[in-house]
Amino acid sequence: MSIRFIRFISSRWTRLVLVASVVLGFQTTIFDDLRPFGVMVQVMVLFAACAGVVYGAEIGAVSGLIIGLMYDCVLTTPLGLASLVLGATAFIAGAFPYFVRDSSWWNKAIAVAVASAIGEILFPIAQALVGLGGWVQWRVISVALVVAIFNLLLAPLLMPVVRWTLKETLVG
Amino acid sequence: MSAISARRKRAIALLSLTSIILVTLDLQGSGSASVLRGTFGVFFRPIEGVTRVVTRPVSNAWHGITHYNAVTKENDLLREKIAQQEGAAVAAAASVRLSQELLALNGLPTLAGINSVSAQVIGDSPSNYSQSVEINQGGDSGIKVGMPVMNAAGLIGKITKVFPRRSIVMLITDPEYALSVKVINNPESASPINDPEASASTSSTTTTTTTIPKPQVTSNIPGFTPGTTTMPLTTVNVTVSVPSLTPTLTVPSNGALPVRETGILEGRGPSRVPIVRFIDSAQRFGTILPGAPIVTSGGSLSLAPPDIVVGTVSKVTDRLGTAGPILEINLVADLTNLSFVRILLYQPITEQVKP
Repeated sequence: MSIRFIRFISSRWTRLVLVASVVLGFQTTIFDDLRPFGVMVQVMVLFAACAGVVYGAEIGAVSGLIIGLMYDCVLTTPLGLASLVLGATAFIAGAFPYFVRDSSWWNKAIAVAVASAIGEILFPIAQALVGLGGWVQWRVISVALVVAIFNLLLAPLLMPVVRWTLKETLVG
Repeated sequence: MSAISARRKRAIALLSLTSIILVTLDLQGSGSASVLRGTFGVFFRPIEGVTRVVTRPVSNAWHGITHYNAVTKENDLLREKIAQQEGAAVAAAASVRLSQELLALNGLPTLAGINSVSAQVIGDSPSNYSQSVEINQGGDSGIKVGMPVMNAAGLIGKITKVFPRRSIVMLITDPEYALSVKVINNPESASPINDPEASASTSSTTTTTTTIPKPQVTSNIPGFTPGTTTMPLTTVNVTVSVPSLTPTLTVPSNGALPVRETGILEGRGPSRVPIVRFIDSAQRFGTILPGAPIVTSGGSLSLAPPDIVVGTVSKVTDRLGTAGPILEINLVADLTNLSFVRILLYQPITEQVKP
C-alpha cells in the first residue's frame, strides 16, 4: 500500500498535475493581464507543445489531455474541448522527434511555436464543431501568429521545467 | 517497451473518450460538469491567489510601461467630460424622474422597480476565443443565469454561469450572444403649432404653459432619454411659469414621434462590432441614420427588461429585397475596461417560478 502510494506520489503524472496547476495560475493571472497586441499568450498550449516535443507523441498526448482538462475547468467553453485540442497539439508536436534527430534547443523552440500556432487555430475549429460558431475568423491567423512568436521566446525557459516534470522515476 | 506503449495508447484513448463524454455532458447542460469545475476551483483558487500576489508587481510594471500615456490622456479627457456633464446632470435628473413618474402613473414597468446587485469584475476569460468576465457575486446574492448585466453606461452582457459567490458574464461581443433590441429612429424635434380650433376653444379659459426642462441624456446619445438611470427619491423642482394669455400648445407633429423597430443584436467577437439584423425595411420606419440609439426591446421572452441603452448605430448596410438592413453598433459601454457592474435581478414572466 505504502509503496503504491509513494509510486503514485512520485509519478510523472502527479508532478505534471502539480506543475500544470502553477502554470495555470500564471495563465489566469499575469498572462490574462498582459495581452500583447490584444492577444493572450497561451502558456498552457506552450506547456502541452513542450511535452510533445521533449517526450514524443504518446507522452505528449497524455500530458496534453491532462493539461487541457485542467485548463477546461477555468474556461467557459464546454468541458473537455480544450483537453482534446491540447492533446492533439501535443501529439502534433510529438511528431517533431521523428523528423529531426539530435535537435538543438532552437529547433525545438521552433517546433513548439509551430505546434502552438496549430493548436491555437484548432481551438476555434473545435468550438465550431460543437456548435459554438462565430470564432472562425481571419483574426484567428493573427492570434496564432502572436501566440507562436511569444511561445517561441518562452519555450527555452519552459523546456527544462517540462523535462523535469515528465522525467520518469524509478521508485518502487 | 511495447507493453508501456500499449498502456499509453490505452491511456490516450481513455482520456480522449473522457473528453468527448465531458463535452457531450456539458453541452447537454449536465450538472456533473459544474461539479467538476467547482471541485477543481476549490483546489485551484488558493494557487491562483498566491500567483496573483506574486505576479502583481510584474503586471503593474507592464501596465505602467505600456499604458502610461493613454491613461494620462484619458484622465484629461475625463476631467473635461465631467465638467461638461455636471451641468447637464441636474436637468437630466429632473427629466428622468418625470419620465419614471409618468411610466408609474400609467402602470408601465420601469427599471427603477427592478432590484439590482452591484459586483466587481475579478477576472477575464483566460482564452482568446471567449468573451466573458468573472464577477464576485453569485447565487447567494440572488443572481440567476440569464440576468442582464450593465455598467454605468449601458448593457454589457448577461449571466451565463452562477456559482455561490461568483458568476460568469458573457459579454455582448461574444458570438454566442443574441438579444432582441429596438432601434429608435431619431425623432425630429417637436415644434409648437398654433391650432386654430384649439385657440377657439381655449380662448375663454386661462391657459397655463408648463415649461419642462428639455430632456437631457445620461448617455451620449442625442435625442434619447434612457431608462437605465434610477433616480433617487428626491424632490425635483420643475419650473412652472404662468403665462401669457396667448394659448400655446406644444404638440409633436405626427412625423416627429419616435419610430421604433425591433431586431436581433448579435455579437461577433472582440475585433468586430456587434450587428443588428432582422430590421423590417418598412417605409414607415424611414431611413436609419448613423447615431440612432439602440435599446433593449423587453417582452415576455426577452432576458432583459425594455429600454436599457445598448449603443448607437455606426453603419448601415442595406441589403436587397426584404432582407432589411444590417446595422453595425457602437456600444456605449467600454468592454475593455470593466471594473464595477450592476446585475438587474430581472427575469421575464415566462421564466418566473410561481410559488
